[in-house]
Amino acid sequence: MGSKTEALAKQFEKVFDDLELVIGWETGFDSLHATPAFIRQPSALGRLIWNPFCSHNLSGYLTKTLNATAQEDAKKIGICVKGCDSRSVVALIQEKFISRERLYIAGIPCRGTVDLRRLMRLKPSLKDVNTVHIEGNELAVETARQTHRFPLQDVLLRKCLQCRYPNPVLYDELIGEPLTPRVTEGQAPPFVDKLEAHSLEQRRVFWERELDRCIRCYACRNACPLCVCQDNCILESRMPKWLSQRSGMSEKFFFHMIHAVHLAGRCTECGECERVCPMEIPVALMKEKLNQVVKELLDYEAGLNPETQPPLLTFDPSETGI
Amino acid sequence: MSGTAYITHNELTSALERLSKEMDVWIPVETGDKKWGIQFSKYQPGKAPLLERQSTTLPKKVLFPQVETLLRFCYQKDVEDRSRVTIDLKDLEDMAPAMVFGARPCDVRGFLTFDQVFLNGLHKDPYYAQRREKTLFATLVCETPDSACFCSSVGSGPADQAGSDLWIIPIEGGYLIESLNERGEKLLPKMGKEATQDQIESAQRFQEKAANERVGEGDLTRYVRAFEERFSDKAYWRDMVSKCISCGICTYVCPTCYCFTITDEMKELEGERLRSWDSCMFHQYTQEASGHNPRPTKFERYRNRVGHKFSYFPDKYNGMISCCGCGRCIRSCPVSVDIRQIVRQLKEEAGDCVST
Repeated sequence: MGSKTEALAKQFEKVFDDLELVIGWETGFDSLHATPAFIRQPSALGRLIWNPFCSHNLSGYLTKTLNATAQEDAKKIGICVKGCDSRSVVALIQEKFISRERLYIAGIPCRGTVDLRRLMRLKPSLKDVNTVHIEGNELAVETARQTHRFPLQDVLLRKCLQCRYPNPVLYDELIGEPLTPRVTEGQAPPFVDKLEAHSLEQRRVFWERELDRCIRCYACRNACPLCVCQDNCILESRMPKWLSQRSGMSEKFFFHMIHAVHLAGRCTECGECERVCPMEIPVALMKEKLNQVVKELLDYEAGLNPETQPPLLTFDPSETGI
Repeated sequence: MSGTAYITHNELTSALERLSKEMDVWIPVETGDKKWGIQFSKYQPGKAPLLERQSTTLPKKVLFPQVETLLRFCYQKDVEDRSRVTIDLKDLEDMAPAMVFGARPCDVRGFLTFDQVFLNGLHKDPYYAQRREKTLFATLVCETPDSACFCSSVGSGPADQAGSDLWIIPIEGGYLIESLNERGEKLLPKMGKEATQDQIESAQRFQEKAANERVGEGDLTRYVRAFEERFSDKAYWRDMVSKCISCGICTYVCPTCYCFTITDEMKELEGERLRSWDSCMFHQYTQEASGHNPRPTKFERYRNRVGHKFSYFPDKYNGMISCCGCGRCIRSCPVSVDIRQIVRQLKEEAGDCVST
């Protein structure tokens, strides 16, 4: 993994003259936390890291912090993407929020990223990590004293356990060799199926219990690369005021339903909404279900090919049966 | 030492059970099945408090609920003359006495900021005042700081007693509860038997050790001017805040964030005036009626967050920092924005700063 970190820095060094900045990951406030890095000087490229703690999908910054559209004389924006992240980039290109020409994409084949809260539950005392990498079906976390090993099944983010796209679908340079997907195409998303096996009443109880914790911090919305309305989100509009300030179940449910439905046929399952939730609500499940429906009805998966037109973004007056 | 009581681990729930007959007892419990997070909930029979690590969300809601009804109103139309309308108002409902058991010094210290704003100014907030008056804090001496904690950097510490009524000190086999004031003292007999001399000494040793602990690097209390000097340094704020996603987590998990919005929510002739948490990270927070927004992007918004806590507030309230160093804004931040580093680097030469 160390070699991939180096390869990443080297690659950006080669092309830095054409770049305005590089968005990648660096070590955060402690050795367990990676954090997004915005690098504007080639001398700072050494800060870049790549390891299983680099869970953040950085593509949202392309629209929200930077204006990655085609502009005359503007330099390119360098960005690091995993397989799932690359699908968000594709979806943003399809929807014309960003321009392919403006990007330099370093694609990283990824074996999965860590759910820190699952890891902490298994080993609350874990700290001072020297290196972390994936070996076979285990996460190896090396501290000064010893190397801890955890089964991937127990520590990866939920989205990674059902990952079908470990390899970036769009890139300028691939850092490392392509990998075999953990889950093959055609295999149903196991978490949605597991939930669907329950009765309607049981699912209602499940969602009420989960959503009850929601504090309406809107992190799920803000972290979502495809939630492009941002400051103009109808949830916060004060005139008209669609959603009450009350914090009961109906408001929370309404909010999450609006979020999910706005992502139907657009969500690339990067799992950011779920990763960022401070209350550990499995909010991505709703979007995964909608994606299943879109796949069945329209045979479409979001964010795979920048040339195709997303079906829910087209309008054909002659269409029937909808 | 003032009054004491000793509770064994096994007796803890029965002590809480006794207290809960007289008041709402708020304890830290897991947020859900197999979850890492901890939140404060009202005690339910048999439920033991989780004291081994800091809670994700706060007991702030006990004194300052996320949503509260300030008043209920109902318009009455005159039967004879429909243009004559009177309003029935109901305000300020009585709240039950409460105790927060097992918060940490940083959680409780946050209310000192609230007190300045809601109690000590020109106007006293009756809603907050009532809850403050009726709520007791039994606070755990903290022995489990982590890499995001920095209470000592803001003038507090793991054994800070400010704002607490009772003190919970882990000792062999259970907890020693010590009263810090008269209203705390009154509750001691309901909590357990008086502690033995050995137990008192053991608790003292624990407390002294915690009091000598330094949590966090450096002193972050003298940055009023440094902030002012950095205010217009756009490159600084760009470098520090680029990764922020402008969500409300840092403000909602902050023990000192007290900003709120007020809305009238009505249906036909009846309605409620609600006060609910607001967040300076949100666009609407400073949106003016004209449509103009003086803080249009996350850069101005996050700068305000830093300024409020480390410059404007101490400037107004005799140097008091409105940050208690609990580290929740760092720990819960989806992208690990580190306010300590942003404040510390305010004093560094432009160009020497490393973006966080």
